[in-house]
Amino acid sequence: MRPGMTLSLTVLALGLAAPAPAEDLKIGLATAQTGALAPYDQPSLAGFQMRVDEINAAGGIAGKYPIKLIAKDTRSDAAQTALVAQELVDEGVQIVITPCDADPSIAAGMVTQAAGIPAFSFCATTPTLPLAVGDYMFGNYPADNVQAAMLAEYAIGQGYKTAYILTSPDTAYTLKLPKYFGEAFTAKGGTLLGEGTYAMGQQDFSAEVTKIAAMNPKPDVIMTAAYEPDFPALMRQLRGAGVTTPVLGSDGIDSPTTFAMGGLVEGVVFSTAGFATEGSPLAAFNAKYKAKTGEEPNTVYIANGYDLGTVIDAAVTKAGSLDPKAIRDAIASLTDVQGVTGAISYAGTKGMPLRSVALVRITGGKRELVKQGVPAPADVPAP
Amino acid sequence: MTSPAPLLDVSGLTVSYGAVEAVRGIDLTVAKGEIVTLLGANGAGKSSTLNALVGLAPRRARRLAFSGQDIAHLPTEMIVRGGMTLVPEGRRIFPTLTVAEHLLLGGAKHAGRGPLAETRAEMLALFPILNERLDQKAGSLSGGEQQMLSIARALMSSPDILLLDEPSLGLAPQIVDRIFALVSDLRSRGLTILLVEQNVALALEIADRGYVLVNGRIEISGSAADLMASAEIRDAYLGA
Amino acid sequence: MDIFLQQLLNALSLGGTYALLALGLAVVFSIIGLINFAHGELMTTAGYVMAFALAAALPFPLAIILAVAAPVLLAVVMERVAFRPVRGASGTTLLLTSFAVSAILRVLFQNFISARPVPVPMPAALSGVINIGPLHLGIIQSISIATTALMLAGLTLFLNRTVAGRAMRAAAEDFAIVRLMGLRANGVVATAFAISGLLAGVAGLLWVAQRGSVDPLMGFLPVLKAFIAAIIGGLGSLTGAVAGGFLLGFIEVMLQAWLPEAWLPYRDAVAIMLVIAVLLFRPQGLLARKTVLKL
Repeated sequence: MRPGMTLSLTVLALGLAAPAPAEDLKIGLATAQTGALAPYDQPSLAGFQMRVDEINAAGGIAGKYPIKLIAKDTRSDAAQTALVAQELVDEGVQIVITPCDADPSIAAGMVTQAAGIPAFSFCATTPTLPLAVGDYMFGNYPADNVQAAMLAEYAIGQGYKTAYILTSPDTAYTLKLPKYFGEAFTAKGGTLLGEGTYAMGQQDFSAEVTKIAAMNPKPDVIMTAAYEPDFPALMRQLRGAGVTTPVLGSDGIDSPTTFAMGGLVEGVVFSTAGFATEGSPLAAFNAKYKAKTGEEPNTVYIANGYDLGTVIDAAVTKAGSLDPKAIRDAIASLTDVQGVTGAISYAGTKGMPLRSVALVRITGGKRELVKQGVPAPADVPAP
Repeated sequence: MTSPAPLLDVSGLTVSYGAVEAVRGIDLTVAKGEIVTLLGANGAGKSSTLNALVGLAPRRARRLAFSGQDIAHLPTEMIVRGGMTLVPEGRRIFPTLTVAEHLLLGGAKHAGRGPLAETRAEMLALFPILNERLDQKAGSLSGGEQQMLSIARALMSSPDILLLDEPSLGLAPQIVDRIFALVSDLRSRGLTILLVEQNVALALEIADRGYVLVNGRIEISGSAADLMASAEIRDAYLGA
Repeated sequence: MDIFLQQLLNALSLGGTYALLALGLAVVFSIIGLINFAHGELMTTAGYVMAFALAAALPFPLAIILAVAAPVLLAVVMERVAFRPVRGASGTTLLLTSFAVSAILRVLFQNFISARPVPVPMPAALSGVINIGPLHLGIIQSISIATTALMLAGLTLFLNRTVAGRAMRAAAEDFAIVRLMGLRANGVVATAFAISGLLAGVAGLLWVAQRGSVDPLMGFLPVLKAFIAAIIGGLGSLTGAVAGGFLLGFIEVMLQAWLPEAWLPYRDAVAIMLVIAVLLFRPQGLLARKTVLKL
């Protein structure tokens, strides 16, 4: 169940003015402009659009393929996403971009895979997504199991012996990421004391928190992939019940709300797609974004969307043609594409990119880098 | 006896619910101080007429005047505030409200506590039984008491004309007698009354004039005595 | 035993919020037969006004007053603009109208505010804990319980002690007759919407206090819960809505607390099954009022 069943009938087609119609690279965006996924797809699109504008201003990919974007609203609905993907395929796009969630991405992927058109999900993190769809489906974000491996390595390094995970069966992300963490944590010698569940969007954790508070022995660390509105409510109620156990989270909480929570989230460590250290490409990107829009980029999804433009630029350049099959093969062989969030590789992976994960600690309402990098492949739980 | 300016003056009144016409262009007048009764079989359009007069049923009319004022487009609450109210069929009391609350709401149009208290005292004098039941929920009253409460509630708005819809419905004979005695009494205090009643004999006994409705049209009208005398009416139209 | 008492407090806090919301739905439904699905957007409005008021550095009490006043105003405007023209239409028409209002508001929030959650930085003092013996009661949780009690008491007084309140109770039983007493229909309906806006505003603030942010879709789920609560209680019954809200909160918390771990993912399914069981025995809901013949 997704809370985004809007009755909005606006299907926005946002065509970009671009010259040279014969050699356009047409990219179809089957992403959410309204509904529950809009908070993720919209910033991704903003970053992506920015990169596309830059590429077009420089004369197109490799100086000869200007990009034409065709965006259609999926209203955060999986069936609508498949429908929109079909419309885009019918319009002759060479690449399709799908929403920030595995379910609608799989629905759209069924269409694009059959049509032999490469597809990227903006920021779905489920590592099984490309496996479920096929060899034309790609991710664009550090996968759940990669994030989990980084978090587990950190937890062991902190000397935590026991852990408790909190999952929600409502999405693959909230269910699987903590489970991958549990696997990786156990593989490195830790013990899982239990698993709690919650229903997304209900923001009542009181019963679960009372159980955790009554645990004996108490876990050394609590790990969850809960995000807004659940994560802030969880922290409030957890700390409100006097439970001071450290908490680990994932990229879903990389949001202004989290940083506005003050003491409640002090010391929380989470994994995310990038960290803007002084002088880093990400810091430069953030400055550029602010100069262009007048706003601070408040989420890493913007940079992540920007990097997808870079990935497509690299793949089409490498393919040297607009043939979808050639583009797919080029994507699958990309190594070390320099994005603003770090190096991105698809060669040797099963559709999910190998790219760096940052671990961030919240200190005094600010982000502090704990670690950045790619975990050892052997430490990453199988999808 | 014809009064020059009737209190209620209606012509061409039509009430339709979608495609169904319940009342088809009737003419009707009620003079000040009269008791006029509307007779007819079930479904003849009697209740629809009363509801239409107070704006609770969809209505059209060539002329719909009360006290010389056109009320065809006034909402119910303004008609009531203007002095015409209805005691609806089936009493329609509020089961979970107390007797006192009914009287309070019934007198909502009175500005200020003085007139309200005065009217309320009058009602309690008229219906002593209600005085004993003031804090009781209306749903717990007997049928006769509920009917008296329904009348008292309507009278709280100090109307000039009272429309009464089937006051005897479902009540024991001795209660019915009391209610009809009360209606006569109200008239003697100057209240004008338009009465719909199944019990033809009873209605004609207290009424001055009557109209007989058949399938939404007025077929016969005349003085109560004439109507009473007409065996034809009783047999053909009233089935009494 | 301590754990049970703790869970009971938890249930009281959650159930109280459901009760406020269900009551807001019931107040309107009882009078004009409309289930206002845009009730959730009234909550969301309270959240946004709170967020902007705090961002503008207004004093906290003033922010609260504005955040509660805004949904009251919006509810009244909603009635005037969207629901009055279709008053008396069929239940389906009313329901669709309310869906449309809800969808329009959500899209407006999304396009004119943000699709992403806007943080609502509640004062740090609200994050504290009160310890009563072995029981922990979060400040927000206690405020939630106290506010619910206060609102219910206030509403009870209003409904039983004022003419407008009594008129609303009467209108809930038989709207046509209320008009027959010279009470203005529009006034009674507007009052009902204002009260539902007030209830939504207060519930919205309690909701936002827990989650610390507001987004365009925030109101959907709580109103769905409130709808279930109102059905359990008997649609249109005010006391029923309150009872249904507390019962639903109690069911949810107790299931979360005592269901075996393997069953926990099905908690909501089990909760809904219990609700269906209640309805099998009481098809009209717990405290359904007797059906009143309406004109």
